[in-house]
Amino acid sequence: MGGAALAHMEANAATASPAPALLEVVDRDGLVRQSWRIERWPVSIGRALDNTIVLSDPHVAAHHATIDVVAGVDATPAKVVVAAGETKNGVVVGRRDRIAGGTEREIADDGRDVELQIGRAQLRLRLAGHALAAEQPMSAVADTEHRWPPTLGFAVAVLAVVLATAWVETDPEAVVRSAGMVVLSTIAGGAIWCGLWALLSKTFTRQSHFGWHVRVFVVASLVLLALSIVPPLFAFAFSWPWATDFSFVAVYATAAAAIYFHLLAVEPSRRKLMRGVAATGFVVGVALSLWFNVQRTGRPGEELYMNHLFPPQLRIARPTSVDRFIGGLAPMQAILDKQAKERGSSEGDDGRGDDEE
Amino acid sequence: MRLRIRRWEALAALALVVSSTALAQSRPPAAPRPVAEPRPAAAPPPEIAASAAAAPTAPVSLSARKIYEQARSQLVQIRTVLKGRASQTSVGSGFFVTPQGHILTNFHVVSEAALKPEQHDLVYVTADGREAPLAILQLDVLHDLALLRAGDAAPSAASGAGRRFDALAFRPANEPFAQGERIYSLGNPLDVGFAVTQGTYNGLVKRSFYPQIFFGGALSAGMSGGPALDEEGHVVGVNVARRIDGEQVSFLVPGEFASALLARGKDAAPIVGSAYPIVDEQLLKHQAALTDRFIEQGWKDATHPRYHVPVPPDVFMRCWGTSTVSQTGGLDFERSDCVMDTRIFVGEFTTGTISLRHESYDGTKLGALRFASRYAASFRNESFVRLSSQHQTKPRCEEDYIDRDGLPLRAVVCMRAYKKLPQLYDVAVLVATLDQSETGVQGRFDAQGVSFANAQRLAQHYLDAYRWVAPH
Repeated sequence: MGGAALAHMEANAATASPAPALLEVVDRDGLVRQSWRIERWPVSIGRALDNTIVLSDPHVAAHHATIDVVAGVDATPAKVVVAAGETKNGVVVGRRDRIAGGTEREIADDGRDVELQIGRAQLRLRLAGHALAAEQPMSAVADTEHRWPPTLGFAVAVLAVVLATAWVETDPEAVVRSAGMVVLSTIAGGAIWCGLWALLSKTFTRQSHFGWHVRVFVVASLVLLALSIVPPLFAFAFSWPWATDFSFVAVYATAAAAIYFHLLAVEPSRRKLMRGVAATGFVVGVALSLWFNVQRTGRPGEELYMNHLFPPQLRIARPTSVDRFIGGLAPMQAILDKQAKERGSSEGDDGRGDDEE
Repeated sequence: MRLRIRRWEALAALALVVSSTALAQSRPPAAPRPVAEPRPAAAPPPEIAASAAAAPTAPVSLSARKIYEQARSQLVQIRTVLKGRASQTSVGSGFFVTPQGHILTNFHVVSEAALKPEQHDLVYVTADGREAPLAILQLDVLHDLALLRAGDAAPSAASGAGRRFDALAFRPANEPFAQGERIYSLGNPLDVGFAVTQGTYNGLVKRSFYPQIFFGGALSAGMSGGPALDEEGHVVGVNVARRIDGEQVSFLVPGEFASALLARGKDAAPIVGSAYPIVDEQLLKHQAALTDRFIEQGWKDATHPRYHVPVPPDVFMRCWGTSTVSQTGGLDFERSDCVMDTRIFVGEFTTGTISLRHESYDGTKLGALRFASRYAASFRNESFVRLSSQHQTKPRCEEDYIDRDGLPLRAVVCMRAYKKLPQLYDVAVLVATLDQSETGVQGRFDAQGVSFANAQRLAQHYLDAYRWVAPH
């Protein structure tokens, strides 16, 4: 933290203060940038040099605010009195309670820190006697950062599956070259992906969290690879066309989850927002795909017919007879006739322009 | 494969030529098609053809000159004109067959006017330049014929008697043609001018679903609908099509269908509105006949060592085969394609045809997993969209595993409905055998423009044909 030297204000106590307090400037990640030990009240805040606390921010007035603390008597709690000076921007208490210039506000001390916004600075007032919250464990991001063995295990699994797929898809005589290509491109792709996320993390949190991003990437890749094999296998074995028709939903869910976990290492303090971003992305993606499929094929699913064939031994569904299968076609007639009618009338006008072959 | 000869737009014709030639080249070049003897200057160069309209000159024989002089006044050019814009969208030829002003031509010459009458007018122009409107009386879509009537033939209010036209007569049915007999084909090629070309009669086209005369002479776009005459000047056929991958391989609709259409439609009232309902009705008859004939003819024997794979006999279909051996130790396969030459022209598309295909895969060099991956890729690589959404619905499919006397198959049936032709559908059946882990056969059957019941019948007929050669 640059220039984070604590500025101590020596208090020549004229008025006896209830107890020493701490006023802090907090950055957007919740880290303290600067703090003042307050031993004498009131405290004046502003841009002019004669203030107790000087904030050199153009959005702060010369004498912006004065804070006083009135000690509680008997059962009545202490009060914090915030008086806004000649300021256009006022003082915001908590999230949105704005004190206009020239007015003041009494805030009963409820044992929690008081948050104030003056200009662009986020201030926190800690009074003696406030209950301390319990120590929080480090986030999963920081925690797993340096545990590489499981990450490497997943990475090896990903490479194994990728290699196996390449082996299956390449003719015997070209398999070595193709294996080399696939391994190289997987590693390069993963490194670029994780590197870009690490760059984002570094920008926002000053830490790259590279290990975390690699962990997220390899786990997500493993799930995606499984999704390219398991649903087709089920579709084939049980004659369940829907398993591959809608497997894109699971793919999108995996991608959204991966993005969420990547984002956790970029904005660790905004879990909820990031969860919302990922969930919105997932819902919008699925809805768009369904809509696109309906436009393209008239059906919500991806595939016109189940087109995944595996070795015949893996088939579990029982075959039907030709008669029953052909009989089962009958309901299609009504559906096709309906489509032919409704679209024929609406597109009759469109067809006028292009009567040439 | 065939170029309908009516457009005179050189670019459009050229584009069709290029694409069709490419298609033809994928076929083995050893096509056993008879080729007519090339004769010098059978098709005169353009400048000669242009003057031929006024006075036939040297390259045309004496009888051709006689024929042309006799037929000149019966010959017309038929133009489809955009309403209100006086520009022609297509041109063809035609000829008078009655003194009352009945004109015969091809359906494809008048199809735009018949199917979209709100946008097109039909006119005829004689060799002397006289122009008059036309009305469509009757269509024979299956043989590609149309019966028209000259608009200036209606009895005038004053006299009660209409104008009399010179008409061509049909060759009597009891005078059979011999191969090699001379035929004179007349028309207006490429809108250059009226012309006569000579060629020979080569019998009927083999494996055609509807009889067509194989004319060993040159036909060009714009001559469609023109008459083909024998040496007495009697109509033996109507110019209809040519093969663009050969020389002087042209086709005529036999005169008997033209005279039948004339007899049927002579006194009919002109068709009002779009002719789609008439086309639909005739296609329904066509598909009924086609389905019956197709199912009746059965299947060929010995098409695969392990399976009975459905391949039709060479009655009105033709099958080509290829064999591909992988160069990289991969999948070897043999392929067979069976198609019909006949397809019914319906304005902006063709229909009414059946095709079959199968591929026999051998993946013993690959092992089960790798074979399955390639077998699946081939099964996936199928399209079920043929015409634009303006003409057809999107495909719908049904699929399941099927048991054929113990042989397990994966079967997919996809169908589309025609939007302007009610009760007609395209059906496609896709089959993959699933009894062997390193070999297999995939087949596809397509029928265009059939009723739903016949689509079911054909699909069942096709699926029922699969079974093991020897019981397992």
